[in-house]
Amino acid sequence: MRADKLIRWFLWGYLGLVFLFIFAPIVTSIIFSFNSDRFPTIPLGSFTWKWYQTIYNDPDVWDAAKTSVIVALSTSCLATFIGFCTAYTDFRYQFKGKNSYLVLALLPPTIPLIILALAMLAWFSKIGLSGQVWSIVIAHTVLCAPFAMAVIRLRLQQMDPDLESAAWNLGASEWSAMRYVIVPFAMPAIVSSMCLTMAVSFDEFAVAWFVSGLNKTIPVIILEILQGNIDPQINAIGTFVFVTSITLVILAQLIFMLRTPGSASNA
Amino acid sequence: MTQAPDLSRRKFIKSSTIATGALAMPMIMTTRKAQAEATEINMLAWYGHGEPDMVEAFEAANNVKFKPKYFAGGDNMLALIAQSPPGTYDIILSDAEFVQQLNAADYIEELNPDDYPFDDFTYEGFTEFPGHWKDGKLYSTMVRYGHLGVSYNKNAVTAEEASSYKCFWKPELAGKVGHFDWHLPSLGMMSLYNGNNSPSPFDIGGDAWDAVQKTTMELRPQVGGFFDYGGTFNSLKNGEMMAMCGIGDWITGVLEKDGAPVASVVPKEGGIQWTESYCIGKGSSKAEIVNKFIQYMLSPEGQVRSAQMAAYPGFCVTNGGMAALQQDNMGEAERTGQIAGASNNPVTLIKEGRIHYRDIPRQQSLEDWNDFWSEYKNA
Amino acid sequence: MPSSDKKRLDYYALTWRLPVIVWQVLFFVGPLVFMIAMSFFLVKNYRMTEAFEMKNWVKMFGKDYFWDSYFLTLLLASMSTIVATCLAFPAAYGLAFKVSGNVRRWIVFLLIIPFFTSYLVRTFSWYVILAESGVVNNILGVIGLGPYTMLNTRFGTLVGYMTLTLPLVVILQTFSLANVDKNLIEAAQNLGASRVKVILQVIIPSAKVGLIIGAVFCFILSFGDFVAPYYLGGSKPPTLPILIIDTTKSGQQWPRAAVVAVMMMVTLMIVAFTAIKLAYSRKAYR
Repeated sequence: MRADKLIRWFLWGYLGLVFLFIFAPIVTSIIFSFNSDRFPTIPLGSFTWKWYQTIYNDPDVWDAAKTSVIVALSTSCLATFIGFCTAYTDFRYQFKGKNSYLVLALLPPTIPLIILALAMLAWFSKIGLSGQVWSIVIAHTVLCAPFAMAVIRLRLQQMDPDLESAAWNLGASEWSAMRYVIVPFAMPAIVSSMCLTMAVSFDEFAVAWFVSGLNKTIPVIILEILQGNIDPQINAIGTFVFVTSITLVILAQLIFMLRTPGSASNA
Repeated sequence: MTQAPDLSRRKFIKSSTIATGALAMPMIMTTRKAQAEATEINMLAWYGHGEPDMVEAFEAANNVKFKPKYFAGGDNMLALIAQSPPGTYDIILSDAEFVQQLNAADYIEELNPDDYPFDDFTYEGFTEFPGHWKDGKLYSTMVRYGHLGVSYNKNAVTAEEASSYKCFWKPELAGKVGHFDWHLPSLGMMSLYNGNNSPSPFDIGGDAWDAVQKTTMELRPQVGGFFDYGGTFNSLKNGEMMAMCGIGDWITGVLEKDGAPVASVVPKEGGIQWTESYCIGKGSSKAEIVNKFIQYMLSPEGQVRSAQMAAYPGFCVTNGGMAALQQDNMGEAERTGQIAGASNNPVTLIKEGRIHYRDIPRQQSLEDWNDFWSEYKNA
Repeated sequence: MPSSDKKRLDYYALTWRLPVIVWQVLFFVGPLVFMIAMSFFLVKNYRMTEAFEMKNWVKMFGKDYFWDSYFLTLLLASMSTIVATCLAFPAAYGLAFKVSGNVRRWIVFLLIIPFFTSYLVRTFSWYVILAESGVVNNILGVIGLGPYTMLNTRFGTLVGYMTLTLPLVVILQTFSLANVDKNLIEAAQNLGASRVKVILQVIIPSAKVGLIIGAVFCFILSFGDFVAPYYLGGSKPPTLPILIIDTTKSGQQWPRAAVVAVMMMVTLMIVAFTAIKLAYSRKAYR
């Protein structure tokens, strides 16, 4: 069994390399957000908060943060709602054309963002919706709904299909069965779906860049700095967003772990 | 001229740590909102014109807030305007050669020449910049300009070699020559290298155009990449590229300030001038305040800000601005030749006939040049 | 229950069924159909006019640079898919078979972290790592190697693609490998199959669907990404997504960009369709 041990060591080492590759740019970005030099080169300059102060004082960054938050929140609600409807339909009903129905619902992630961006901007200009915050919300909802659907569908899979009919037999209407059985059961998935879609929306830049007009989101600002006056503000914004979203995710996880046991059995 | 350092000091005092920033975020969002109720001015410009170092003083004094959308290159600008509903942009910073197109498409408002200090301009040719007047009416005013030539890393190219575009072909530079990713400046330089300087590198016949394409293609093996503005900065700074075609001091000036061993010169074949002009967007409801901003940018204070713009520097167009710059930062004035009698004084260079205004192709269509550029990039 | 379902196509059922249909038709199918239509429009004086002309198609198909870009993008995306699939497999294999479920959950959590950092920021970081005076070359310099040019090359582009796709591919592969029936593996081992044989003849075939789905996503993401080839590959030469951006930037040539986009979509559909066929094809193993 020496070979087994060797293989184990090899796999761990390999995994370490994979993580080195994945985390190298993240760590680099955090380090350089505190580096005094205007351009990222080594050796490092001195430690500074300057870039954080710059973004803190830049109203455009705050406006973008506000737009991003509005977009991410609206997107997560809309996408999760649509995803829930679709997942429930798939879970509960058999009907003619269901396959095409599912294809329609799940197709967006297979279309490259740049194509969606081009198509959406052209379409939005055509129907008079271009350049508004809502254009970004709509576009992001299209992108995110399939993910929401997948997450919620997986959760519904774990539900005993008889649970709903049992509720009907006890005299509950379909609506109240939904209210008191299905939604509580799916709640953990609904919350994760909201987190997931929020995260996707918060980091999406290609579509947002095309359709946003003057309402920039944080990733669009990053793209503009990257295309324009490159400077370590990129790293500072990136690090700030990273810390914020990781905190949110961990919080969501914690709430989740405290609440999940038993939440489904109330019905 | 003293408020610039003042402002940055205030900035530093105002901010504490980012940790409190995170906690205070919701609160700050509301106070920022109150600020946002200032009149919003939508600006379409090259990167940097709507940044705090340019507009912050004007914003504070007039309770306005600029909302910038940035483009790179005049074609890009036209495309952006065409994609937006009419009246979207209140103020447009256009490349001067594209003003006539803006005008032809009826995207801009007429201006009143009496509003601007034309009699103080450093060069009389600027007051009548081609395309800015039409049928005796003014549509745009120049605010800053700069010269393009050979930009190079001093460790790889000598000043003597840089005095000709020929240095791009230097064998040691194979894979180290970068292009700013826009066809007009790069192809203009190739045209100058081919000797097309009269009347203009952009006014060339079919044969000359074929020759320019051939020359450009010959440069292709040397080329290490095509970069947008940010990429150009970065690759020159970290030594990935040792020479750059299509740019000038507007890039290397910023890098020099940061201590990079780079420089730009106007070579013996001649250089190209980029020119930026302000226009008021057609149908803007804020024409009055926008006009005030244009006047501000032409005032000595505005000119000094423009000459030292954080994103990229540009020459002053007024004598008042030049004098103010000398007072504010003599070093920068000297570096850029913005003092009387300097050999690299930009106006002197123009008068010597060494500078050609960047223009749209006169005898071919923009599309032809664009198409060739795509071909070239793919070669 | 199924018998009464037909009758139950009432408001309740429609409430859940309709939202996605309405939404997708308005904001997903609509834009894509319009884009296809747009590829037949004309542009005059920077204004798009609705028409039905083949001009844009003829023009793009007649350009060598379009086809060069097309095959280059196809090649790069395929390379990216192969590299990501091969690089991810040992990691996913280790995660699926050599660690406990708890450790696996934590590692998958770590793999999700990159999704919460901006892809743009990560790409920007590679500049300083890969530059000629950068981190990697400095380390190599210590042992007397290099410097190597990594930025503005295909290698740079691939690094960017991996940044985008590798975590996702590892996760998808791990899930599909973890679901392989352990009894099957044990049975094969008991029959005396070697380690390699078990992997090739038992594990990979049973996890085929998941592995292929991971590869397809990697292909789609790489095929459509403009950041890596632009910022790390120096757009030398440009890929199709860069061509789309260039075309929209220059003189409002949206219809031509639409031609490129439609070609990309058709290509992806063929690739995805073939892959799914492959994933679900039944081959006799015993």
